[in-house]
Amino acid sequence: MADPKMRFLVVDDFSTMRRIVRNLLKELGFTNVDEAEDGAIALQKLQAGGFEFVVTDWNMPNMDGLTLLQTIRATPNLKHLPVLMITAEAKKENIIAAAQAGASGYIVKPFTAGTLSEKLNKIFEKMGQA
Amino acid sequence: MSATNDSADLEALFESIASDYAPPAATPAPAPAPEPAAAANADSDDLQALFDSIAAETVTPQTQAEPANIQPDAAETASGGEEWPKQEAVFNRIGHMARALHDTLGQLGYDKLLEQTVSALPDAKDRLAYVANLTEQAACRVLNATDIAGPLVDEIESSSSALAARWDKAFANQLGVAEFKQLAEETRAHLKDHIPAKTRATHAQLTEIMMAQDFQDLTGQVIKKVVALAQELEAGLMGVLLEVVPETKRTGEVASLMNGPVVNAEGRSDVVVNQAQVDDLLDSLGF
Repeated sequence: MADPKMRFLVVDDFSTMRRIVRNLLKELGFTNVDEAEDGAIALQKLQAGGFEFVVTDWNMPNMDGLTLLQTIRATPNLKHLPVLMITAEAKKENIIAAAQAGASGYIVKPFTAGTLSEKLNKIFEKMGQA
Repeated sequence: MSATNDSADLEALFESIASDYAPPAATPAPAPAPEPAAAANADSDDLQALFDSIAAETVTPQTQAEPANIQPDAAETASGGEEWPKQEAVFNRIGHMARALHDTLGQLGYDKLLEQTVSALPDAKDRLAYVANLTEQAACRVLNATDIAGPLVDEIESSSSALAARWDKAFANQLGVAEFKQLAEETRAHLKDHIPAKTRATHAQLTEIMMAQDFQDLTGQVIKKVVALAQELEAGLMGVLLEVVPETKRTGEVASLMNGPVVNAEGRSDVVVNQAQVDDLLDSLGF
């Protein structure tokens, strides 16, 4: 099982959504959560180090979630980070693009606490195997 | 795709203007202001006059030979309309386009409709900002309430299970008389004061959550108005587009990866409607 001290970065341009994800993570036992309001700020925080998991929206100003994901995957010291996308983008080509860019999971909004928990566990399992 | 065609056309237009463009002083003076005709339909008459003046000026250059090579000479002689044949041609085309658009709008009655719609747009913007504002406030109120109620409920759970554990001991005859008496008193206090106080406080937060939904009524009214406006605008613009856009450019969807939520998934095969479909798709691709 994942370390409850695992440090999460929640990236979404809507504070409400960040708060909801943060609360859900807290319910799942993860209290070490930081927030960023777009991909550019997220990248700054990630570069500063210390994060072990990224949960990101797709459609954001400055830098969108897909670009953030691609940048993370192209950055040597970040590319190992699991990136879970939680987004309202529901076109099949979106999901495929995210998967191809190396997303660890994809959740469409609106979503439930159960879905988040399930996807997180699936990602932890894969990380454990790796 | 139509978007690229458009932008290629636009670019060509831009270049044709830019290549001929020289010091601003040389810009051909527009024809003398047309005599204000019958005041009744001043707008239309002005446009007609402007159009005629442009059309008249440019008839000659347009029929001349390809003007591409005469540019250097033109720059030196600098004045009058004929030295700028390309530019004139562009003005001419724009004039024709404006005329055609104006006529179409007028004939179809869309000009009034569009005028109304355009003046309504800033209002719609304010209304939508109002909706965004109210929904954000509501979300914050609800999240605050759950933040307050959560610990209250947790506390009831933990204190109850602590008492229950001690009662288990009592039933297993592991408590002395004094301990049992104390347990009974604490349980009484728990039931009489402790729990009711916590549930009342929780209830107050539930009421807060309920009251936070009052935005629905307000935003509902505002959104209906904006939707009506959008429908008017859409109908108007569609009418114009159908008149103006050539058949070949009428299809072609916008391909983008940032479309936001799917508002109506009915009859669409390119979108998923739930998490299970996301998972199936990813599975089928081997992710």
